[in-house]
Amino acid sequence: MNTTVEVLGFAREPAWLPWAVTYFFLIGISTTAFLLSLPGLVWQRPAWRGISRRALLVALVCGLTGPVALLADLHQPGRFLNFYLHPNLGSWMAWGSFFIPLYMFGLFLYAWLCLRPQLAALGRSGDRFSGLYRTLAYGGHDNPGAIKAAALVGAIGAALLMLYTGMEVMVVQARAMWHSPVVPLLFAVTALSGGLGMTSLFEALSGNQSAAPLLNRWLERSQWAGLLLLMVWLLLGLTGLSSAAAEALSAMQGDFSWWVTGAWLFGSTLLALWLARSRRHALVLPALFALQLAWAVRWTVLMASQSLPKMGATSPRYFLTLTPDGLLGIVGMLGLCLTVYIALTSLVPWDERSDA
Amino acid sequence: MSAHPDLSRRAFFAALPAVTAGLTVSAGAAEASGPHWSMLVDTRRCIACQACTMACAMENASPEGQFRTVVATYAVTGADGQTGLSVLPRLCNHCEQPPCIPVCPVGATYKREDGIVLVDGDRCVGCAYCVQACPYDARFINHHTGKADKCTFCSHRIEAGLLPACVETCVGGARIFGDTNDPQSDISKRLKAADGKVQVLKPEAKTAPRVFYIGLDAHMNGRVNGASAADMMWRPNQQGG
Repeated sequence: MNTTVEVLGFAREPAWLPWAVTYFFLIGISTTAFLLSLPGLVWQRPAWRGISRRALLVALVCGLTGPVALLADLHQPGRFLNFYLHPNLGSWMAWGSFFIPLYMFGLFLYAWLCLRPQLAALGRSGDRFSGLYRTLAYGGHDNPGAIKAAALVGAIGAALLMLYTGMEVMVVQARAMWHSPVVPLLFAVTALSGGLGMTSLFEALSGNQSAAPLLNRWLERSQWAGLLLLMVWLLLGLTGLSSAAAEALSAMQGDFSWWVTGAWLFGSTLLALWLARSRRHALVLPALFALQLAWAVRWTVLMASQSLPKMGATSPRYFLTLTPDGLLGIVGMLGLCLTVYIALTSLVPWDERSDA
Repeated sequence: MSAHPDLSRRAFFAALPAVTAGLTVSAGAAEASGPHWSMLVDTRRCIACQACTMACAMENASPEGQFRTVVATYAVTGADGQTGLSVLPRLCNHCEQPPCIPVCPVGATYKREDGIVLVDGDRCVGCAYCVQACPYDARFINHHTGKADKCTFCSHRIEAGLLPACVETCVGGARIFGDTNDPQSDISKRLKAADGKVQVLKPEAKTAPRVFYIGLDAHMNGRVNGASAADMMWRPNQQGG
């Protein structure tokens, strides 16, 4: 039997950076949080009313910040113009550049229409910002028909965003771990997990524990779905039914870090599942585990998989450094999320008492 | 003779006396359809000296640590305990079905009629989607420009009637470059002579590469199951020090 040692190998450094993970994470959360806002704000389900308001806040915070990470990934943000000047419509990424503004337009219009009556009420309060609120309210009419129409635009945008982010990754045959129909589904399910987690976290921040049972019920479902998809991918690879998954597993063999990664993904999903089932009234812990699952899946698929060599035997390892395109970028995006959260919650009260 | 350089380095020099005479010869059939550039790498002639790697880096001013072509080098120990050297010169394969082209969101990557796959630097946004899509790890994001970079077959040199820098400098004559549309070109003759023994990298990717190999170890044509000396090394720029 031959043994081979790559004496002189040339491994390319990872080309997609944590910016990509941050974008996929935030935009996934935004789209699913938007969908979570529909039961309470469009279909007027009483049980969802408070949750949907917080979900809308999540959708806005993550929707406003997510595309910033995407722009940062282009090295020079102004380059985004080429997406519109020279679109190649055979590329999923090109379609994404149209789906993002469609979703953003729908989200902002929907949010504004939902908040209008409350903005009008704030405009009548007589404080020093009442003029601004009156302007923003633009009459302040509650128009359920318009809300439904805007929700439809946003929902189409959200669905297309989830579709493109999954397909963009799935179509890349050169990356064995990416080239699987399970990936878009896993992204969608873990985005839901992240959306529920972030909504739970916002509920906890506003001190509203009553939403916990309903959120945890949905969190449990999303964890089951995530677990199922992880197992499907693994089985497809182990049985050889998916040559790409089998190739990915083969490339991981002998690397202890992949065993740790796999154990972490399955273990943390099970733990989140257990928390959501057994601690129905807890918000923070299940939320944090749900968020970490959304992040860990994206990090594993987008970053860790880039360490699997396409050619040769050398693994192009990625080390998270304290640089703008590394840890500083992630922390910076977290700070931006916090800033937008503070700005939005300062502008409009989002708690239960302020329900319009 | 074709007006384009389509010969290996040795044959190129051997053909120089015919250049002036060739100016009076009418264009052949190959010219009517235009050239189709390809490269044949005879790994039996490669001594892994990395002269091609350096020539390319100098010619194309590649940033430090980033290469458009390299020669991956392996120590292979057989069942009999004998250890030998195995090499894999790597570069962009200028595929007939390049997976990097359809994914590019702005159409910056394109294939010329002469078969060369290029990147329009003015249009490229540096999204690195093409880097991900390339099965051969031939692309990278240039640290200086923040845009996609790869081997161009030294298209600027070809247009000036020169051979690619790696071909020009190869001490063993392992790289043969030329026009496969011209049956009289050296590469066409060699490909014909080696019929049945010519390989491409990752044929299962169905990209129809235009870089061909002779003498390539079958288990080297993609991801290699083996240890990597680089993985065992301490890397000061990544691991501190």
